[in-house]
Amino acid sequence: MSPVNQTASLRTPVRWRATLAVVLLAIPLLWSRGDSSAQQSNAEPPVRVPSNVAWTHETLVLISRGDAFRGLILARRCGHCHGEEGFSAVPAFPNLAGAVRLSFWKQMEDFRSGKRASPVMQEAVAALSTRDSADLAAYYSMLPTASDPQDNRAFPQAMQDPSHAQIAIRLILFGDGQRGIPPCQSCHGPVSYVNGAPLLAHQNGSYLQEQLENFASGSRSNDINVRMRSIARHLKAEERTAVSEYYGAGLGPE
Amino acid sequence: MKKKIGGIAAIMLLGLVLLSIRYYEVDLPIWHFLGGGKGPDPATLHLSGEFVESNLGTAEDAEGSLTVRMIAQQYVFVPQCIAIPAGVPVRFRITSADGVHMLSFLGTDYGLKAVPGAVTEASFTFLKPGEFKIPCNEFCGPGHYAMRGQLEVAPRDQFSSLHPEERRTCESR
Repeated sequence: MSPVNQTASLRTPVRWRATLAVVLLAIPLLWSRGDSSAQQSNAEPPVRVPSNVAWTHETLVLISRGDAFRGLILARRCGHCHGEEGFSAVPAFPNLAGAVRLSFWKQMEDFRSGKRASPVMQEAVAALSTRDSADLAAYYSMLPTASDPQDNRAFPQAMQDPSHAQIAIRLILFGDGQRGIPPCQSCHGPVSYVNGAPLLAHQNGSYLQEQLENFASGSRSNDINVRMRSIARHLKAEERTAVSEYYGAGLGPE
Repeated sequence: MKKKIGGIAAIMLLGLVLLSIRYYEVDLPIWHFLGGGKGPDPATLHLSGEFVESNLGTAEDAEGSLTVRMIAQQYVFVPQCIAIPAGVPVRFRITSADGVHMLSFLGTDYGLKAVPGAVTEASFTFLKPGEFKIPCNEFCGPGHYAMRGQLEVAPRDQFSSLHPEERRTCESR
C-alpha cells in the first residue's frame, strides 16, 4: 500500500462521522425553532398597555446618561410646586428630593403618554424631551434629603392617629403573608428594590395615600404588570391610611 | 467496518442524550436556553404578547379548553386570585418578570416553576371544588414568604354561570 492510499482510507470515516455529528446536533436547534413559532401563534393581540416604558437596556442607558447640571436649570419650573430644595410646601404634592432616577423618569414618560392622568403634569411635561426627563431625574436624585430648618417644607407631618403606627410597622417590615401582601420595604427599599419603584422614606403622607387609593380603585393604572394595583386592592382602607401617615411622618425605614 | 458502526452509534447516542436532557429546575428541554431569548422578554411582558395584563387569568379558547396565564414577579403573582372549574384539565402558562419563582398549590402535589425569558406550561386537573393557597415555593428574595396567590376551584356548573370577568379572575370577589 502506498502512503497516499493510507491517508485517504483513514480520512473518509472521519468526515462521515463529522457530518453525522453536525446533522444530529442540529436537530435539537431545528426542533426548538419549531417550538417558538408555535408559541407565537398562541399569543393574542394586546388590549391594554399600562405604560409604554419598559426596562430595556436602551431605556436604562438613556436614564443613566442624565446630566444633573442641565437638570438643575430645567428644574426652575418645578420648584413652584415641588419646592426649591425638592421638598414641597403642600403635602398633596410629592417630594422629589432623593428620587429614584428610574421611577422619576417613568412617571414623566407616563404623564407624557397620558398613561398616568394629571392635567397639571401633562402640561408641564409636554415641553420636555425624554432626555430632559433623564436630566431632571439625575438632578433630583442628587438633592439631599436631610432636614433643613430654613426650608419651607411640609414633610415630616405628625401622624393623625398614633395608634396606626403598629399596623404600619407590620406592613412595612413584614407585609401580610396570609393575604399575599409583600412588605413595602422589599421593593421600595431599604431591604430590596425593583426597577421603577420609588423610595417612600421622604414622601408626603397625603400624596402617598391618594396614590394608594387611586391604585386600589384602578383610577391610576400605570404600574407595570399590575403590581401595585393588586397590592393596594388587598389593603384595607385603614391600612392604606396607616402606611401613608407613617411614611409621611418620616418614620419609615430609609 | 466495526469501528464505523461504533462511531455512528456513539454519535446517535449523544444526540439522543441531548434531546432528552431537561433543565431540572423548570422541566424545559435544555436547548431552550441555548439560543437565548426565545421566550418572552421579561422587561416587555406588559407591552405585547400573551402576557399583557388584559390577557392574564383564565381564558377559554374556541374549542372550550381553559388556559390560565400568570406572571410571577417580585413579590406578587398576577392575577393574585384565579378561578377554575373542578374536574376539567386546565393548562397553566406562567412566566416571570424578574427572577425564578415557583407556583405551588398548597395541599396538592402540583407545582410549576416560573422562569424569566421562558414560558413554563403544565396541565392540572382539580377534582374537588375548594380554595387553594398558592405560595411561592422558590426563595426569591426578602418578600418571598409573603408572596402568595389564591386558586378558587368552583363546581363546573357554577363556574359556567359566573360573570365573564369573574371567570377570568376572582380578584374582585
